[in-house]
Amino acid sequence: METLTYFLPQVWFGILALFLFLYVMLDGFDLGVGILSLTASNEERRGILMTSLSNIWDANETWLVLMGGSLFGAFPLAYATILNALYIPVSMMLFGFIFRAVAFEFREHANRKLFWNIAFGTGSFLAALGQGFALGAVLEGIVVDKAGHFVGTTWDFLSWQSILVALTLIQGYVLIGSTYLIWKTEGELQETHYKTAKLAAYTTLIGAIFITISTPVFYQSARTKLFEAPLVYIFAIIPVLGIWLIWQLLGSLDKKQDKAPFVWTILIFVLTFIGLALVVFPYIIPTEITIYEAAADPSSLVFMLIFVGFLIPIMIFYNIYQYIVFRGKVTSHQYGGE
Amino acid sequence: MFLENTVVLSRMQFALTALFHMLWPVLTTGMGIYLVIVEGLWLKTRNSDYYYHARFWSKLYILNFGIGVATGIPMEFQFGTNWAPFSEAVGNFFGSIMGFEATWAFMLEAASLGIMVFGWERVNPIIHYIATILVAVGANMSTFWILVANSWMQTPAGGKLVDGKFIISDYFQAIFNPFMKVSILHMFFATLETSLFVIGGISAWYILNKRNAAFFSRSLKIVIAAVILVAPIQIYIGHLSAEQVYHRQPAKLAAMEARWQTIPAGESADYSLVALPNDKAEKNDWELSIPNALGFVLEFKQKLSEPVLGLKEFKPENRPHLVGLIYYSFRTMVGIGFALAGLMLITTLQWLRGKLSTGNITEQKWLLRAWLFAAPLGYIAIDTGWIVRCVGRQPWTVYNQLRTVDSVSKLPPSNVLTTLICYATVYTMLLFAALYFGSRIIRKGPNLSLPIPGIESQPALDTKPGEFVPDERPVEAQQ
Repeated sequence: METLTYFLPQVWFGILALFLFLYVMLDGFDLGVGILSLTASNEERRGILMTSLSNIWDANETWLVLMGGSLFGAFPLAYATILNALYIPVSMMLFGFIFRAVAFEFREHANRKLFWNIAFGTGSFLAALGQGFALGAVLEGIVVDKAGHFVGTTWDFLSWQSILVALTLIQGYVLIGSTYLIWKTEGELQETHYKTAKLAAYTTLIGAIFITISTPVFYQSARTKLFEAPLVYIFAIIPVLGIWLIWQLLGSLDKKQDKAPFVWTILIFVLTFIGLALVVFPYIIPTEITIYEAAADPSSLVFMLIFVGFLIPIMIFYNIYQYIVFRGKVTSHQYGGE
Repeated sequence: MFLENTVVLSRMQFALTALFHMLWPVLTTGMGIYLVIVEGLWLKTRNSDYYYHARFWSKLYILNFGIGVATGIPMEFQFGTNWAPFSEAVGNFFGSIMGFEATWAFMLEAASLGIMVFGWERVNPIIHYIATILVAVGANMSTFWILVANSWMQTPAGGKLVDGKFIISDYFQAIFNPFMKVSILHMFFATLETSLFVIGGISAWYILNKRNAAFFSRSLKIVIAAVILVAPIQIYIGHLSAEQVYHRQPAKLAAMEARWQTIPAGESADYSLVALPNDKAEKNDWELSIPNALGFVLEFKQKLSEPVLGLKEFKPENRPHLVGLIYYSFRTMVGIGFALAGLMLITTLQWLRGKLSTGNITEQKWLLRAWLFAAPLGYIAIDTGWIVRCVGRQPWTVYNQLRTVDSVSKLPPSNVLTTLICYATVYTMLLFAALYFGSRIIRKGPNLSLPIPGIESQPALDTKPGEFVPDERPVEAQQ
């Protein structure tokens, strides 16, 4: 039983990390394209940008719903405390989602499309900003009592560190959005996004450097963890690998490659994600509550594992099938519903 | 003042967001089944009318779907943001079920929808039909899990509360809790019936205006044929549902009937038709009722075999308030259920008399107007039904186990008030925008010149699979 109480929460931590990663990667480029659409110069371009997402945005967003539902079931305390603490950034994200989602449907039927384009772009920005604040606040730690209940104030999320994380995350989304557009578009539009990708790669890099330095400098708990063996070796490798990946990304942008920039960006996301997961683990409400304390009853974790576990490969399969069906470049702003 | 009370504000926000969200999945579940039927008919008969029906109605479908997703995501997160103690207490079961809804239902629906809406020219008709079926299956599985979760809150089973947390000993008993089966059927038929009357009402509008009358007679007749079954079944399931409330949630039944005094077993009682309930005085200020009818309504016989408990039987802190709201919501829902069944009967009669044939149907002006008028009624019945179910459950979130006041997150009232105002504003705008764009799609009408897959292969979506372009740059530049 002892091993079970450790093993099951770890399995669920892994599953949640997978869902969150898939969300950040897939909806990351959706949100990035949304933010980029604010800078698109004309209606036709904005149309192509939105068309490139029309068939996949809701499936991509669903990974977050999946993450939310599974967090609720697997770590109820973490679901309750984190969302309670992050009332403001989470609300920002939710309103951002609302604007973004309806803009897709309404724009299609509107005569004056500009209004809905702006709703789409600002909605994407607002959602990304809310997520950035939330991520920043969680990494920084949430004020809880002994039982793990939130006892801070709803403005705790706002700090220099969380602003830095939010800005960096937005840059990261713009980067993956740009490389997605490089993959899905051609001609002049593709040219533009080679430029935006390059710019975003630099700004993301600067943000990442700041975060890498400020986290161990300002946070005692991160510091003790980071400089202990064996993690210290991993944390020494991550920045080196990161710089090598960015080097490869910039190279592929210079060579005007089609798909490679997107792949390099995904690898950069994977690396960052592994780094963050290792900093956080085994805590799920940093810096106090571990996954073992927040986990649901073992019977509940087993029950969920049976009913959800076997669906994970199936879900991934039919999502991939979707991408195969809609492969190829988007060349016109035709929405395609008609 | 309620503006300084987080419990009241969070309840208002949940009620607003839930009642508004509820309006959209209605069509995605019910119309989803209709789309499976028309696409199936097309594949079987190859009659292009059915194909154009699938294309036309799916435009309204996707408009609905977008708003359903947009308003549904806040529901998923609201349990944590506004109801953290509740989430922590029920996470073992309720949280798992939310996880199941996302994995079983939501993802299946979202991933198949892309192919259903944009994939006509990209996949072969059988794959497309599978996608359409999966969208309908996903949407209805969502109804299934949500109703499992809500029924468990009404009649918790399969475990007990230990140190403020529900420990589940038997998950299947928890899933198949006493309310579960009837509640799922009631909601399934509610979405189906509402969708059918929406499709019927819009079809009636076209026929009234003599636009594509023959085309829309087809959808109207499919709807009538389905409603002949659905409307009476729904009334019967509704009755079963009320019977369950009678046995398991007597305080809710008392509020539904605005009954303050207990009626002992073996007696007969009046059935209240119109009343003016007074919470403070614990009586109805005024009432109009049918003598001796309550026994017939509840048990199909005059004398009650079990007592009907009155609200006064429960301490004020253990019974629902807002009795007038519950009482009238219940009557509105039931009234609509019977009105729709009545319209079905009259329409069937006219059909049997041959009045709905292609030549005659446009003459049935009043009947068609009645159908148009009936289109929004199902939505009202669904929302009032949920008011009865959840306001009637008060003061509990988990019936008789966890109180609403103990379920709410400790948040500054100003935060909740701000989000409440934002939701109210944004959702009002969404409602008007949806009605505006929806009526725009309807006014534009079906596009009967779309290419039919398998006949002409002209891509409807202007994206094409990547072509191989030989790299002509010097070898050094190639990588």
